[in-house]
Amino acid sequence: MSNNMAKIADARKTVEQLKLEVNIERMMISKAAAELMSYCESHAKEDPLLTPVPSSENPFREKKIFCVIL
Amino acid sequence: MRSPLIPEMATQEVQLNETLAHLKTESETLKTKLEEERAKLHDVELHQVAEKVEALGQFVMKTRRTLKGHGNKVLCMDWCKDKRRIVSSSQDGKVIVWDAFTTNKEHAVTMPCTWVMACAYAPSGCAVACGGLDNKCSVYPLSLDKNENLAAKKKSVAMHTNYLSACSFTNSDMQILTSSGDGTCALWDVESGQLLQSFHGHAADVLCLDLAPSETGNTFVSGGCDKKANVWDMRSGQCIQSFETHESDINSVRYYPSGDAFASGSDDATCRLYDLRADREVAIYSKESIIFGVSSVDFSLSGRLLFGGYNDYTINVWDVLKGTRVSILFGHENRVSTLRVSPDGTAFCTGSWDHTLRIWA
Repeated sequence: MSNNMAKIADARKTVEQLKLEVNIERMMISKAAAELMSYCESHAKEDPLLTPVPSSENPFREKKIFCVIL
Repeated sequence: MRSPLIPEMATQEVQLNETLAHLKTESETLKTKLEEERAKLHDVELHQVAEKVEALGQFVMKTRRTLKGHGNKVLCMDWCKDKRRIVSSSQDGKVIVWDAFTTNKEHAVTMPCTWVMACAYAPSGCAVACGGLDNKCSVYPLSLDKNENLAAKKKSVAMHTNYLSACSFTNSDMQILTSSGDGTCALWDVESGQLLQSFHGHAADVLCLDLAPSETGNTFVSGGCDKKANVWDMRSGQCIQSFETHESDINSVRYYPSGDAFASGSDDATCRLYDLRADREVAIYSKESIIFGVSSVDFSLSGRLLFGGYNDYTINVWDVLKGTRVSILFGHENRVSTLRVSPDGTAFCTGSWDHTLRIWA
C-alpha cells in the first residue's frame, strides 16, 4: 500500500510539473527565428572562425614557431 | 501481489489504484495539451526564414596543434578564460593543464580513480575541477610552483551516488554545478562542500550540462539517457522547460551565444536546436550518411556555426540557420569525445579516444 502512496506522490509531481510547462508563454517560430538570425548577423564580423582574420591576428594560425626558454 | 486480509484494506487499495489511474490520465491529457500548444507556434521552419541569409563560403579549418601526453582515452576538456590554457582529463586517471599555444604541459595530477569523465577550469584560471568514477567532484588549486604536488591541496566538493558526468564552475570560483549517473544535477559551495541546490527530474543518468550565458540569468540546461533536455532555474531547483525529441541518449548540450536557444548532440546521430522562447525544437542537423553518435557540440562566437564531434572520428560543421553541413574535418584516429570553442572564438579544441587533443582553426 505504501508503494502505491509513493507512486501517487510521483504522479502528482508529474501532473504539477506538466501544468507549469503547459502554461508558459511562447513565441511564434517566425519571430524566434528572426531573432536568432539577427544575432548571427550582428556578430558575424567578430567571429574569427566565420570571418577569418589575417593570420597574424589569430595566434593559432600564425606561422611563428614559439620557443620555450628552459 | 498479496491480497488484503481485511475488507477495509481492500477498499482502500481500490481507491488508491483509482487515484493513480486518474492522475495518469491527467498526465497524458496534459502531455497532449503541451504538444498542441507547441504546435500552434509552428508557423514556419528556421531554414525557411534563413533562405534570405547569404550562404557561407568554403571553410579551411585544419589541425594547428596536437597535444600528446595522455596515456589513454581523452574524455573531457575545458578552456581557461585566458584563451590559451586548456585542462583535459583521461581514462588513465590523469588531469593535465596545457598551454595550447606552445603545446607545453604546465601541470599534471593523477586522480585516485580511472575514467575522469569531467573537468573544468575555474573562471580565475587558478584552479581546476574534475571527477568521474569516484562519484565526486574535486577542486585542485593550480600552483605557480611546478614542482608542488597539486594532489596535496585537493578539495573534495561534490558527492554523488554514481559517476560524475560533467561539472562547471558558475560565474565565480565559489560554486560548482555537477551532473551525475545518479540522475541528478547539483549546485555546491566550493569552500564548504555544502550542497546548495539539487535538481531532480531526469529519469536516468544525466550526461551533460551547460550554464546559460551570464546575461541571461540563472538557468542551465542538462541532457540525459532519458533522451530529455531539461532547463532548470538554479535558485529554486525547478525544471522550467523540458524537451524530448531525441531518439537516444543526449551526450552534449550547449547554449546558443545569445542564451535564447541551445543545441544538443545525441547517440541518435543528430544535433538539434531548441529555441527557449518558442519552447520547441526548431532545427535538426543530420544526414543519412551520418550514422554514428554525436559526443560533443559547441557554437562559434556568432552562433552561425555548430561544431559536432562524432563517434566516427570526424567533426561535422553545420550552418545553424540553414541546417546544412558546411564542412567535415578529419584527423582523429578514434572517437571524438569532447569539443569546445575557445573563449574568444579563434579556435576550437577536440579530445579523442586516440589519446590526443587537437586545436583547429
